[in-house]
Amino acid sequence: MMAIRELKVCLLGDTGVGKSSIVCRFVQDHFDHNISPTIGASFMTKTVPCGNELHKFLIWDTAGQERFHSLAPMYYRGSAAAVIVYDITKQDSFHTLKKWVKELKEHGPENIVMAIAGNKCDLSDIREVPLKDAKEYAESIGAIVVETSAKNAINIEELFQGISRKIPPLDPHENGNNGAMKLGKQTTQTSRRCC
Amino acid sequence: MCSPEESALLRLEEVFSATLARINSLVLQPLLAAAPEPSDPRGRECLLLLQQLHGRSQQLLEVTEESLHSLRERLRHPDTVGLGSLLLLHGAEGVLRVHLEYIKSYTSCVVVQAFQKTAKKRSEYWRGQRKALRQLLWGVSPEGSVGTALVQALRQPLSHHVQQYVVLLLSLGDSLGEHHPTRELVVHAATVFGDLQSFMRQELDQAVATQALWQALSSRQRDALCTPTRRLLQDSQDIPVTVAPLRAERVLLFDDVLVLLQGHSVHTFNLKLVWVDPERDGCTFHLFTPEEEFSFCFKDPQGQVVWQWKVTQAVCQALRGNKDFPVLGAGLEPSPPPTCRSMAYTFLAEGRLCQATYEGEWCQGRPHGKGTLKWPDGRNHVGNFCQGLEHGFGIRLVPQASEDKFDCYKCHWRQGSMCGYGICEYGSDEVYKGYFQAGLRHGFGVLESTPQAPQHCKYTGHWDKGQRSGYGIGEDGDRGERYIGMWQADQRHGPGVLVTQAGVCYQGTFQADKMVGPGILLSDDDSLYEGTFTRDLALVGKGKVTFPNGFTLEGIFGSGAERGLHTQGVLDTAALPPDPSSTCKRQLGLGVFPVESRWQGVYGPFRDFVCAGCPGDLQEALLGFHVQSSKELRKSQEYLCCERTQLDDGVGRMDEVLEELLQHRQPEALQQCLRKALSSSLHPLGQLLRTLMLTFQATYAGTGANKHLQELAQDEVKHHARELWAAYRGLLQVALQRKGRALEAEEDTETRDLQVHGLVLPLMLPSFYSELFTLYLLLHEREDSFYSQGITNLSLFPDTKLLEFLDVQKHLWPLKDLTLTTNQRHSLVTDKCFLSAIECLQKIITTMDPREKLEVLERTYGEIEATVSRVLGQEHKLPMDDLLPLLIYVVSRARIQHLGAEIHLIRDMMDPIHTGGLYDFLLTALESCYEHIQKEDMHRLPSRWDSREPR
Repeated sequence: MMAIRELKVCLLGDTGVGKSSIVCRFVQDHFDHNISPTIGASFMTKTVPCGNELHKFLIWDTAGQERFHSLAPMYYRGSAAAVIVYDITKQDSFHTLKKWVKELKEHGPENIVMAIAGNKCDLSDIREVPLKDAKEYAESIGAIVVETSAKNAINIEELFQGISRKIPPLDPHENGNNGAMKLGKQTTQTSRRCC
Repeated sequence: MCSPEESALLRLEEVFSATLARINSLVLQPLLAAAPEPSDPRGRECLLLLQQLHGRSQQLLEVTEESLHSLRERLRHPDTVGLGSLLLLHGAEGVLRVHLEYIKSYTSCVVVQAFQKTAKKRSEYWRGQRKALRQLLWGVSPEGSVGTALVQALRQPLSHHVQQYVVLLLSLGDSLGEHHPTRELVVHAATVFGDLQSFMRQELDQAVATQALWQALSSRQRDALCTPTRRLLQDSQDIPVTVAPLRAERVLLFDDVLVLLQGHSVHTFNLKLVWVDPERDGCTFHLFTPEEEFSFCFKDPQGQVVWQWKVTQAVCQALRGNKDFPVLGAGLEPSPPPTCRSMAYTFLAEGRLCQATYEGEWCQGRPHGKGTLKWPDGRNHVGNFCQGLEHGFGIRLVPQASEDKFDCYKCHWRQGSMCGYGICEYGSDEVYKGYFQAGLRHGFGVLESTPQAPQHCKYTGHWDKGQRSGYGIGEDGDRGERYIGMWQADQRHGPGVLVTQAGVCYQGTFQADKMVGPGILLSDDDSLYEGTFTRDLALVGKGKVTFPNGFTLEGIFGSGAERGLHTQGVLDTAALPPDPSSTCKRQLGLGVFPVESRWQGVYGPFRDFVCAGCPGDLQEALLGFHVQSSKELRKSQEYLCCERTQLDDGVGRMDEVLEELLQHRQPEALQQCLRKALSSSLHPLGQLLRTLMLTFQATYAGTGANKHLQELAQDEVKHHARELWAAYRGLLQVALQRKGRALEAEEDTETRDLQVHGLVLPLMLPSFYSELFTLYLLLHEREDSFYSQGITNLSLFPDTKLLEFLDVQKHLWPLKDLTLTTNQRHSLVTDKCFLSAIECLQKIITTMDPREKLEVLERTYGEIEATVSRVLGQEHKLPMDDLLPLLIYVVSRARIQHLGAEIHLIRDMMDPIHTGGLYDFLLTALESCYEHIQKEDMHRLPSRWDSREPR
């Protein structure tokens, strides 16, 4: 049996950029038919194979409104990865993205995997953010970047596959003991007390 | 027709009756009339015996007359009055009884030579009566003394008479046909009187031998031993005995005591407390008595057989309290005598039992079983004994030197000293409840002053050989202080935390009851002093004070009676506000008292209990009494004994307990079974839980309800859950073992944690909840008050205004739920929207189980989604952008008090398996609402939004 790793993934980005649409698309599509509990489109899970492991993504949505910004640390603490979403048709949302990246670098969990998703690539004719800008930025911070379309299901799988690949493999010793290491759990426990 | 034997019997009775009358007038009356009241005790004794004999003789006369009457009736009307009407036949037992009484009385007179002594006083008179006496007797030599003549006069007619009874009754029996209805009766009567003959012979022989012995002994020995009723059964002069290790020149076996004579000393042993233990080699046997053990050795086996038989029979007879009839050893009960007897005895030998009286059960010469031991100084022990020592449950009262106060120990004992669980109420208004070893407090125990005591003090913790030692909680009611930490030799020693009623906390190292060296002080206003303490708890030393506003003061502090607190140092007013985790939220005691070793003294006895295989009879000694309240224990000793008898079938009950565990191993049944076990004060697990509750309350209730102890407490609760699970597993293993079934494999950590958090914690948490929740309450008091303020402000908004204020998208508003009366606008209705979700969320405080609280949260979310789906007319999955404002709305309307404390308690007690998962998410969402309500722009007055018209 393959080891299951639970990976907490946090969704960040302005309201209206389609954070939850991406996840909805990711979770609905494909083979994961065993009913796993969800909280609407706010908390969803999906298990995907990755090498000789199974990655169970525990995906936490956040509220994108500016006024709730200060609550975000509660959500991203203990995350193994963060998906930061912007709308390629809105320059503002790309600015917000940069703010999130900065905050994660400063206050987020160590070694958090960051993935940048430029959503609504089906609307590239009214694009405001050039792909090149995004790529350059992503490279400068060592993040994954893809342009996605939740509507047309473009690059959604790839986004999460990219995350899976960037998750460091399990320490073989720990793997032997435990069967499955819960990465999310461990980081959460160490970081809880600061809040 | 009457038989000739009947006529002969009639004549016999006539003669005997006349003889008795003559004896009375000729002998007894003059004897009694002989002297004025004698002055010496011996003389008085003789007179009493003679009076008694006279009475017996009268009874004998009466019964003879009665018999005579029945015979006359029979002979007068042989056809109407049957043979069975004769008193000698139908009343043989009654006649026998009168004879026995007479013989007893007569032999007593013989033993003390009552006739000779009394006759001597009027020897003149008796010389004159000699002739008359001779008429009464036959074979009396004229030379014989008057005394001897009297002795014979009172016996001979009776012996002869009984002998004639037997002869005539036997003959009568023979004359009756084989199937005559009365034949049985006649044969029975003949046997009875035959036995009486044997008995008389034995009695007379014993009396004569005893009388002879008294004559032979020195007057001192005689005075010590001689009583009228005592009879000699065996004398070592007849069959020699060597006694070891005691020394004895002569051994005398009487019917009530065994006597060893050595020189002038007389050593007497009550036969009721003599145990005979035969030796295999045939020439020796052992005797056990309460204070001595010795052997009788013989030259040959015959001697051993005779003595052993005699002693054994004498012991039996003594225990029965009646003379064996017709002869010694012919008793109804089988020999040997019982090894366990009930008796009272006062110890004489020097030692711990000197002058003490034991009353109760004995075995082989030692107190064994239930009994009472009383010392002349007033000490008193009621309880179980084993091999002469207190063993098992017992209650000891020890009077105090002054006043009529007692120390009362209700404890378990082992080999004479207190061992195991006990409750001791001291005359000094203190009560100790806990464990003992070798008579001293040892292990876990609580020493507390009673409510009547002038000062309230309490220690809950560990003891070592009678002294406070190890982890313990000391409460000083007068000073309003509680010490939580390590003790040694009855003093606070080692790392410790001290909390005062006023809310001041100290943490440092104690030495010989004083806190010295580096330490910290947290005052109730969250100021922090870090530095050295040079004089116990006073702020004297070098250190740094951090004020709540962030100012720091570093220097040397001192305090004096006349100068107050003074310092020389540097005040820094530029510093940033202090880190809450080191001041207002600082947790004390962490890492100093590892949770695993904190209450070893409570878990330890349980482990011992399991290791010993859960013996029911040890349950109480190891796990404590199951008495419901301490009030019950204050009642009388007997009450406690009675109350506790339920536990006597502890062995059987333990089987039931274990059986129940075996039968409830599936998750649901197991939960039921554990719930029942934990709630029962009789169940081992329930007992363990109760003791743990006691320690928890002693630490964290009252003065200990201090926010700086929250972490210490929650650690402890979680550890208790682990230990309770381990305790359950221990019991289960014993249950399996008893059934001879395979033991459970060792669990891995993950399975164990799952059971601990999923199963045990929810079941035991209610027992600790009120103290624990209070700590969370205090720790989050500040945030909770901001939150309350936020709630109060938001409650001023009508529903639609609040939805708007929170930026809930308008298409999600459940306007249909607003039923309007006339003249009412939507904008004025409150507490109608999302009512089902609000009411659901409010249920979070109705349960103490963290899992159930999380389930409430999940249902609340479901209600929100259901309401939204209803409003939109289709199923709708809410993204966080929409959900969070709605959740804030619901939370603010649910108006749950102390939500911060709730959230943190749930998070700490939540099964770690949920981390990152659904429940974690829901709880985080709730926490973010809580945070949001506290701050944000909500503290703006409602007038702000009033001016804004809905878009």
